[in-house]
Amino acid sequence: MGSVAIDDVRCKGCGRCIVECPRDLIGYSNELNERGYQYVVFKGEPEDCSGCALCAIACPDEGIEVWRRPDAQTFVTTTGLTERMTHYCPGCTHGVVHRITAEVLEELGLLGRAVGIAPVGCSVLAYEYFAFDMFEAAHGRAPAVATGAKRARPECIVFAYQGDGDLASIGGNEILHAANRGEKITVIFINNAVYGMTGGQMAPTTLPGQVTTTSPFGRDVADTGRPLRVSELLASLGTPAFIARGAAHDSKSAIKLKQYIKRAFEYQRDGTCFSFVEVLSTCPTNWGLSPNEATRWVEESMKPCYPVGVLKEPPSEGGET
Amino acid sequence: MTTTTAPTTSEASTGAPPKLLMKGNEALAEAAIRAGCLHFFGYPITPQTEVPEYLVKRLPEVGGVFVQAESEVAAVNMVFGAAGVGVKCLTSSSSPGISLMAEGMSYIAACELPCVFINIMRAGPGLGGILPAQSDYHQATRGHGHGDYQVLVLAPSSVQEAADLMLLAFELAEKYRNPVMVCADGMIGQMMEPVVFHAEGAGPPMADNDWALTGCEGRERRIVNSLYLAPEELHAHNLALKEKYDRAARDEPRWELYGATEGYDLLVVSFGTMARIVKSAIDELTDEGLRVALFRPITLNPFPYAACRDAMDALPRDGKVLDVEMSMGQLITDVKLAAAGSREIAFMGTAGGVVPTPDEVAARIREELGAG
Ligand SMILES: Cc1ncc(C[n+]2csc(CCOP(=O)(O)OP(=O)(O)O)c2C)c(N)n1
Repeated sequence: MGSVAIDDVRCKGCGRCIVECPRDLIGYSNELNERGYQYVVFKGEPEDCSGCALCAIACPDEGIEVWRRPDAQTFVTTTGLTERMTHYCPGCTHGVVHRITAEVLEELGLLGRAVGIAPVGCSVLAYEYFAFDMFEAAHGRAPAVATGAKRARPECIVFAYQGDGDLASIGGNEILHAANRGEKITVIFINNAVYGMTGGQMAPTTLPGQVTTTSPFGRDVADTGRPLRVSELLASLGTPAFIARGAAHDSKSAIKLKQYIKRAFEYQRDGTCFSFVEVLSTCPTNWGLSPNEATRWVEESMKPCYPVGVLKEPPSEGGET
Repeated sequence: MTTTTAPTTSEASTGAPPKLLMKGNEALAEAAIRAGCLHFFGYPITPQTEVPEYLVKRLPEVGGVFVQAESEVAAVNMVFGAAGVGVKCLTSSSSPGISLMAEGMSYIAACELPCVFINIMRAGPGLGGILPAQSDYHQATRGHGHGDYQVLVLAPSSVQEAADLMLLAFELAEKYRNPVMVCADGMIGQMMEPVVFHAEGAGPPMADNDWALTGCEGRERRIVNSLYLAPEELHAHNLALKEKYDRAARDEPRWELYGATEGYDLLVVSFGTMARIVKSAIDELTDEGLRVALFRPITLNPFPYAACRDAMDALPRDGKVLDVEMSMGQLITDVKLAAAGSREIAFMGTAGGVVPTPDEVAARIREELGAG
């Protein structure tokens, strides 16, 4: 006796939920919503839905709420996000990572202590979406801003949210040294293998052979280097840290990702160590793929280059150092 | 100073705060603490090194924070972060490092965050040299980074004044919610002079405000941001900034008039270390019976245009104005603006760390006056 409430105004029609529903209960409407997107609708009867919420977990647009029974809501939208609809393209998973970050802070009771730092990149407007204190930093500098903020107010939960151009290219020095100093901050690193905001140029994370606007014949590693594996690089530092790589392109990955992000913030809350979560994230627009093709591209092309999992844990208490 | 334990007013029995012998850089650092600044972020560079080396020992004594950043780019952004969460904070550098801080300064000014920069200027351009110069005058007063923003700039010409202006810098930073730069040179930074701190112990923290990011528990959330996508909004933001800079230009100019202030035939305009040397030259010339005065801007931005013009207008019709600077024609930009075409401005400048002697300045003044 489950049910889902789909917000047809928020829906951008990426269709992730359609693929996710194990009972095939969601489909496209024949109409466009007021923003011009072909939105999705629930096609089944209430008794058909188990309330599993995989549709809502995969939705990048905070567009779905789910009930297992009328009195048991299984997916509630987080108070850690504002009501604003994001400007992200259909099928971009920045929205999923925003939501998970906000959910984690809410569940840990940390929203009132949170200070987030938006980067320059597609998520430059993250301060419009996170419902707590936010900075907007210069391109690549968020880890330094976070360092200043955290050192000055250790009671705050300070995190930087950065793309791969921002963090791995122009901000390479800032992230390396914040990690090496073991700043008690959290960094969420969105790896979508391109510069999204400026229109799909090659990033340090672009895959070999990948076509971008500045590698029109495919990335030539002899000329432009190999994909920079930031998590591996940071994990090689001697400083204790929590470093994990997850993904956001489907519900299964999102559930795992949430565990990583939760642990990252727990480590900061407990003053344990620097914590870093890389997220393989989709950019259908600049990859020239549909949202569902983009999901597959993460699985088939990105994951072999960027394996997911926990790369580094801080030494356990009393354990080896 | 080999000790970093803050000199206290143990001589309180005399009532007067003690006189200490300190290097300019150390006095700046100690004065920052007296102003209530407990957060320092910086990257090593000569000739300002004594600032971080002093603070790394001194800040822990007052519960402060010292971070050696990986670069000036990072240092200025750490300042951005600390200022944004509402603490008094400081960074210190010298010319090439200030260039790297340009981006961050633009963001900090755009976000209207208070903080203080020290620039112990060295000779440029490029890597230049480590000797004293004033060649960052345009950089300091005309902007470092992009956009319509300004930094208030204070220029001490003694160790005591360096300490005093540091207190003022923090006051102005908070008053205007804007970066303030104390701009000195290697000479002021390195020389030892007696200094008295009128403020005792670590000063007060930043006053409560409605903009600092402290966590939104129990209040509306806050945003520190410089992105305005709507042109009308960005225009309004720039107008608000301009209103602020106009207010500072009206209320904050500071200067000193020295020498034959009752009546002079030649007015020198000079600041910082160079102005000290000019003073010695003037003393020498006064003994010879020549009537010479010095106009010394203390605030380089806002430049005391009106006072400078008044000082020029007090000259006789055939009186002379001589701009003396340790750069190739930067201060003179503002002297000319002050004169607004009313007079010719003669120029004497050195570069590269060459510091003119009082005798050289005196010789040039005699020449201008036809008293050779
Ligand atoms: C100093 C500076 N250089 C360049 C830019 C232009 N710029 C804006 S966003 C961006 C790339 C962002 O890409 P990424 O960090 O991968 O984030 P995404 O947009 O993909 O989420 C660039 C180069 C800038 N704003 N500032």
